[in-house]
Amino acid sequence: MPTQQRRPPSSASSSSRATRSRDIEQVDEEIVFDRIHPSFMIPDLFTQPPPDETVEACLPFLTGEDGENECNEHGVPGIDRARHVRFLHQCLGKLPARFVAADASRPWFLYWCLSALTMLGEDVTSYRDSIIQTARSMQNDTGGFGGGGRQLSHIATTYAVVLSLALVGGEEAYEVVDRKAMWRWLGSLKQPDGGFQVFVGGEQDIRGAYCAAVIISLLRLPLDLAPESPAYTGDSSANLLTGVAQYVRRCQTFEGGISGQPNAEAHGAYAFCALACLALLDHPGRSIPSYLDVPRLIAWLSSRQYAPEGGFSGRTNKLVDGCYSHWVGGCFPLIEACLNSNPSRSSSGGAVAADDPTATATATTPTITKTSLPPADESLFSREGLIRYILCCCQDQTKRGGLRDKPGKMSDAYHSCYVLSGLSSAQHQWELDELEPDAQPDAAAAAAAEPNDAAASAGPNKQADLEAVWAVLPYLDGLQVFDNKDRVRPIHPVYAIPQPTVRAIQAYFAERPGF
Amino acid sequence: MPPKGKAANKTKASETTKPTQTTTTTTAAASSSRTTPPTTTTKPPPPPTTTPTPETVLARSEARYAAARPHDALLRQKGGSLSAALSHPEQTAWLAARIASRIAARPALSSGSSTAAGAGAVGKVACGGGVKTLREVWKIVNEGGLGLRVARVRKSPPGGEVGVREFEAKWERKVVLGCLEVESRCFRTRWERERRGEVEELTGELVVVTEQEAFEETRRRKEMAALRKELYGGGVGKEGKLAMDPEWDDVEPVVLEEPEGALAAISYSADYAEAMAYLRAVMQAKEHSPRCLRLTEHIIGMNPAHYTVWLFRAANVFALKLPIPDEMAWLNGVALENLKNYQIWHHRHLLVENYHPLIAADPSAVAEFAAAERSFLQKILAEDTKNYHVWSYRSYLVGKFNLFNDGEELAAIEAMIDDDVRNNSAWSHRFFLGFSNPDYATPGSAATEADPGVPAVVIDREVEYARDKIRLAPQNQSGWNYLRGVLVKGGRKLATVEEFASGFVKGLGEGEEAEDVQSTHALDLLAEIYAEKGDREKAELSLTRLGQKWDRIRVGYWEWRRKCLEVPA
Repeated sequence: MPTQQRRPPSSASSSSRATRSRDIEQVDEEIVFDRIHPSFMIPDLFTQPPPDETVEACLPFLTGEDGENECNEHGVPGIDRARHVRFLHQCLGKLPARFVAADASRPWFLYWCLSALTMLGEDVTSYRDSIIQTARSMQNDTGGFGGGGRQLSHIATTYAVVLSLALVGGEEAYEVVDRKAMWRWLGSLKQPDGGFQVFVGGEQDIRGAYCAAVIISLLRLPLDLAPESPAYTGDSSANLLTGVAQYVRRCQTFEGGISGQPNAEAHGAYAFCALACLALLDHPGRSIPSYLDVPRLIAWLSSRQYAPEGGFSGRTNKLVDGCYSHWVGGCFPLIEACLNSNPSRSSSGGAVAADDPTATATATTPTITKTSLPPADESLFSREGLIRYILCCCQDQTKRGGLRDKPGKMSDAYHSCYVLSGLSSAQHQWELDELEPDAQPDAAAAAAAEPNDAAASAGPNKQADLEAVWAVLPYLDGLQVFDNKDRVRPIHPVYAIPQPTVRAIQAYFAERPGF
Repeated sequence: MPPKGKAANKTKASETTKPTQTTTTTTAAASSSRTTPPTTTTKPPPPPTTTPTPETVLARSEARYAAARPHDALLRQKGGSLSAALSHPEQTAWLAARIASRIAARPALSSGSSTAAGAGAVGKVACGGGVKTLREVWKIVNEGGLGLRVARVRKSPPGGEVGVREFEAKWERKVVLGCLEVESRCFRTRWERERRGEVEELTGELVVVTEQEAFEETRRRKEMAALRKELYGGGVGKEGKLAMDPEWDDVEPVVLEEPEGALAAISYSADYAEAMAYLRAVMQAKEHSPRCLRLTEHIIGMNPAHYTVWLFRAANVFALKLPIPDEMAWLNGVALENLKNYQIWHHRHLLVENYHPLIAADPSAVAEFAAAERSFLQKILAEDTKNYHVWSYRSYLVGKFNLFNDGEELAAIEAMIDDDVRNNSAWSHRFFLGFSNPDYATPGSAATEADPGVPAVVIDREVEYARDKIRLAPQNQSGWNYLRGVLVKGGRKLATVEEFASGFVKGLGEGEEAEDVQSTHALDLLAEIYAEKGDREKAELSLTRLGQKWDRIRVGYWEWRRKCLEVPA
């Protein structure tokens, strides 16, 4: 395993470099011609190498020396949409026998590809019928979806199927889900300590908690526990979400990041699961500081970004990988929502707030509360760095298309989805505003909504009105190193699918309480 | 092509069971003329005088045709009309052969007394004469040794260019395959009878299929599959590994058809598809048996990421009450072959959960088990030092068997950190060992908060350890994160390491030349220390320099930290 060595720019070399750059300013433009691409505006932050294998692989791309695609004046290539789109359509088609290792995770391919295509601006409703057929073949009578036909239901594959159904949208797609069986099955995964097993008899980790919260929220499932649930105590105040936040809290490590299960190492993928899960339980301005040490968390998240690559790593002393553009990058909108909003004291509930939100907080008195942390007026991470890494290093610029971990790696559906998700969140600004109970839905948000979202605003939904509302704008502060045509579509910071699709499925099920 | 030795074996085997078949059907010509009256076939064809033994099937067919229809060759040779080319007797013979072959083509008419009238009718139609004429025809045909039915030579018969020897070898294999199929059928019948509890007709004893018989049947099916593949090409039947094994004869595989237009469908290999079909069948039947275990092993070998199979395997292990250490030993091999796999570690977890109650009361058994596990974990971590699943399992194991005070566990971690001081996984495990020890740790204490239960001596030891390691690699964040974590756990002021941290930062804010930062993490910690002490100016300077020069990619974060200074904590 290559070991990540991060040194500060060494004193000797950097001061001499600094001297040289001063010289350049003082003397004349002659020396400037030594630069390979004099016209590219690439800050030396992204071109100075500390010795490192990954950096060496990335530098030719970051400096625009390598790569097939034409660069803009910032030395950044555009998104090769056509190739990526073709690659993603292929990944949805028939896969060769060597993909057998993916036999238990086919629903992920559905979600990754549909989500990536959506972000690239493609209309995925043409996949509606085949998604419906495929999803049906994976559903179990006992609730939930397996990795394929006749496989045990797994919470991760169920999450992927539900998101895929939401992405193609439409009543027929929504109705694929047997909600009552789903509700009962989720109850059988719920553990007395608050967490969720990923399948009956499977491991328990923070993915389980996040996926369960998303499924419950999108399908508007009731929170009651069936008596068969391992977590059922007869106490009527205990429900599907009781103790979830405490479980998340137990996963924060001394480094500040989040581990997959208590007592393990902090890891980027679990950080996103933890924060998104908390953001579903309550307004993130309350839930995140109530259960996590926010300054430590931010310190750890921020440490994940490296120069000169600009991308994120998943753990301390590990290498950058394009997928953490989402897992780590996707944490920042949630952190910003936590820092920038000023939620009212009374808990009006997150998307899936427990009936009595105070009940969730009773088991352990949170020791950490939001002690007047300053708002994040400017970005907490380098959006420029991440965007450069994604566009320069994570695109497979050959005919193959698709997005990847880093130069030298093969593109795949997983990286295509999460690299684009990271790009999307770096290119947009999300804000979470709490509405007054009598306020109308945010006009801008309603305007941004797509036609199929009409149902969402049509039916007056008391709960929705009380909820905090996410609003998105293109991120416009500071230098924009990509061209406007290369802005991908925004996705919801919690559900990781476009906001209108979230609203549409929630609105559909909100009108059908009970089973 | 099967190995030659095998083919030889088969011939022997078939000779013993079906000798008649092998001797009668030796050539293609013989089989194609099997329906002709025996009198005609037993007559030897005119000896080939000058033509050499034909080399290809096509040449041989032509030679045979010529021998059975001598006049045709003459006709072709001389050309012109029938009367010009052939003498009168030759013409008669030629005609007789044609008439006889037409009659022979309707076997019902050529034999059997009840149809004599019909035969006469055909004869009349054929040559205008009566039964007498017909007799004459037969006489000429028999005496002239003329073939009644002759394989018509197509211009390019399939495999016509194939050598005669090769062609005959192929025929032989077809015969062998036929024999094997008969034997296999016999076996299945016996197998079925055994299952029904039937008795041998002769002895009155229960039908028992011996292991040897089953073994031979497996081998037989493999031979059959190989022969079929060779003779008819691949993919003709479902000769999978399991269909070939008589042990699975009683299971009807559940084949899963993907719906029309299924997305991301995988073109499974035949072996995998077959195994999954059998798995569905036994899972549906909730069968727990040694063969199920073997089936899961077979599938795991092809796809170790299949959680459904793993859980079914665990159910079998427990239902059959297999010794857990045996299963662990098997699992070790699988784990080493599949370093990145996730399911292996959950399986191990389940095994430990099951095994723990059996040995928990016996300290020496626990120690032995822990030592074996550690030795295996060291082996697998040597392959992949930061494997997340392995480390997660390791912390679970420590908690389960309370190995916090096991000196070897700590020593093993120290050795790993000595190997690679940047191995953050090892650092994280060390933190767990030190601060989650139930002997003193307060239950429920969060990792980022102080725990008054932790003895000062532990804090001192760990602070010293971290400082030692940081000196080795000042820009290694693992060491700094650990140091800070320990101080917070111990409820100590960060300022207690101010002097230490200052050693890595020289001349801050004293100009480009004077300023030297060996570790941005030291400067980060110093900023916190200054803030803690209320020295806002120095804290601000530290954060500014981090953003301006020493860690520019994180400038947004350092700016936010600077704003934190404005808000009283």
